[in-house]
Amino acid sequence: MKATLLCGLLLLGTGSTVASAQAPTTLNLYSEGDVNVKDLWEKDLIPMFQKANPGIRVNLVFSAHGANSQSTLDRMAAAKQAGKVSGVDILEGPVEDAAQKGLLDKLSAQKVPLLARVSPNVVARAGSYGVPYRASSVVLAYDSTKVKNPPKTLSALIEWIGKNPGQFTYNAPDTGGSGNALVTRILKLGIPAAEAGTFETDYDASKEKYWEQGFTTLKKLAPNLYQNGQYSQNNVGTLQLLGKGAISMGPVWSDMGLSYLAQGLLPANIKLTQIDPPLSGGAAYIGVAADSANKAAAYTFLNWLLTPDVQAVVANKMNGYPGVQLKYMPAAVQDKFGDMAGDYSFGFSSKFNADMTRMWYERVAGTPQPQK
Amino acid sequence: MLPPLLVLTLLVLWPAVDALRFSLGLVPAGNVNYTTGLDLIRSDHPTLAVFGKLFANAAFARDLRLTLFVSVTATLLLSALAYALALYGRFHRGRSTELVRTLYLLPMFIPTIIAAYALTTFYGDNGLFEAMLARVSIGYTSPIRQAWGIVLGQVWVGIPFAVLMLSSGLDGIPEEQIDAARDQGAPFWTILTRLVLPLNVVPLLIVLTFSFIGIFGSFTVPYLLGPTAPNMLGVSMQLNFGSFRQPQLAVALAVFSFAVCAVVGYLYVAATLRQNRRAA
Repeated sequence: MKATLLCGLLLLGTGSTVASAQAPTTLNLYSEGDVNVKDLWEKDLIPMFQKANPGIRVNLVFSAHGANSQSTLDRMAAAKQAGKVSGVDILEGPVEDAAQKGLLDKLSAQKVPLLARVSPNVVARAGSYGVPYRASSVVLAYDSTKVKNPPKTLSALIEWIGKNPGQFTYNAPDTGGSGNALVTRILKLGIPAAEAGTFETDYDASKEKYWEQGFTTLKKLAPNLYQNGQYSQNNVGTLQLLGKGAISMGPVWSDMGLSYLAQGLLPANIKLTQIDPPLSGGAAYIGVAADSANKAAAYTFLNWLLTPDVQAVVANKMNGYPGVQLKYMPAAVQDKFGDMAGDYSFGFSSKFNADMTRMWYERVAGTPQPQK
Repeated sequence: MLPPLLVLTLLVLWPAVDALRFSLGLVPAGNVNYTTGLDLIRSDHPTLAVFGKLFANAAFARDLRLTLFVSVTATLLLSALAYALALYGRFHRGRSTELVRTLYLLPMFIPTIIAAYALTTFYGDNGLFEAMLARVSIGYTSPIRQAWGIVLGQVWVGIPFAVLMLSSGLDGIPEEQIDAARDQGAPFWTILTRLVLPLNVVPLLIVLTFSFIGIFGSFTVPYLLGPTAPNMLGVSMQLNFGSFRQPQLAVALAVFSFAVCAVVGYLYVAATLRQNRRAA
């Protein structure tokens, strides 16, 4: 603030003769997600970083639920086209997309030393363009007063939904990761094991024939969902329905569910469990813009994010898994997760995910039921 | 002459032509977001293939049906309600009139998002309205996540503009004419149908046209209210552009919406011209 004021005075030519300290570097951090992500940056991480690195200022630009992510990418692409600087230094969220368009800087342990502590396959998933600074997975939340024996497997879950009409729902795959993970998991039913990798990292539309079985299953579930086929609005929508007792089971993000329980927004009778095979999770990646003029400061920031103290804050505040491998974490954090952290399945690659979402809207939601 | 033309060209015409070209299969090489879209149709000369694909899609047909249903129903309901309110404000004398005038302006100062959430918490499942009806043992199925929910939201949001428009028209009707008719012993109904309505046609046409165009292309209300699918075209464009990664189809939808609204706009212009000739 002071520095801005000072610059302003200098620009105005008031000839202020205050000897200024070196003007700090400002990093523009573009992030997206739910309000818990926003709070994590605003209330915890940025103030902590500011204290440790007075020479670098972090300016957060937040896009709720990723609503403006596309325009951020547009801006970066347009800047690249014009050979200008977009003003985006650090990007959290659509890292995979941005990397494909050549908008991000490829990272390595030379640039970000602590990247060596992250599981290699998690780094590889974003093609080394992002630092996974936290992770979480989707789990099944259920009301333990109404559900005595929660389903342990996917097939048991599907069966349960059929036997308990109106007691389950999920959100559309584009409105939040929890519904997306459930749809992905069910679509994987028809994918042969040999093809699984293709769906996670590549794109080949002809292979979408393997989704038939999954879409048929989802279509059959629809009339047995909440209010004969209503989907929740988003991740939070599912949690709210659970909290109100309107449904007794639904997919939720592990971190959001735990946070809600900790804050008393969900009653204590809501329990979280994982089914087998596990619902997908993933890391939140954060990358550096290729055209950033402040790359050195950006690497400092990313490296700082992976230090044990900061990772502990992330794990506690978000109830998420740390980004680095658990063995590098303090004992308290290790105990919290046991062997759970790091064991989640992956979702589809972003292009497959786009097609999956489109087909879900075309073939599952809002379509008339097939005549029996 | 030149500056306004320049502004319009830069702000409206250029992007519109750009969008039209893209929807006709001419993919601009320089736009990364366009060229990395899925299911692109590329062609060296203009082609209607994109529109062919769009119209062949059953989901688009469902979306269009919903959009037309909401636009027509909400426009008619809104106009009827706004007319009643405007007449009340114009002809009713009393303290309650001021209160009504304040109340119908209220939605103008409330952001659409807040209004949509307020409607959801009031009329939605387990909302206040349901609780009130439960007290007197009346069953209730919430319309909020159905097509009628969108209609409700659109009517609520559209009232201030419609009433203001119609009120200004009613205020323009000379008091002497109305008094003269009253002196002849004409009942209110006759004054309304023979005098007020014919003299207030243009504002009504404006309300009908602009409400229809506004609702047809709206985003916020249908995004927050109504079913998960089908969606109104505004939401469908956003889905295609963002979630489905199909910028070309999104742009084709935009061109289609523009064409529909242009036809409605043309009807309005033609109708007002006739009206003005008649008045002259």
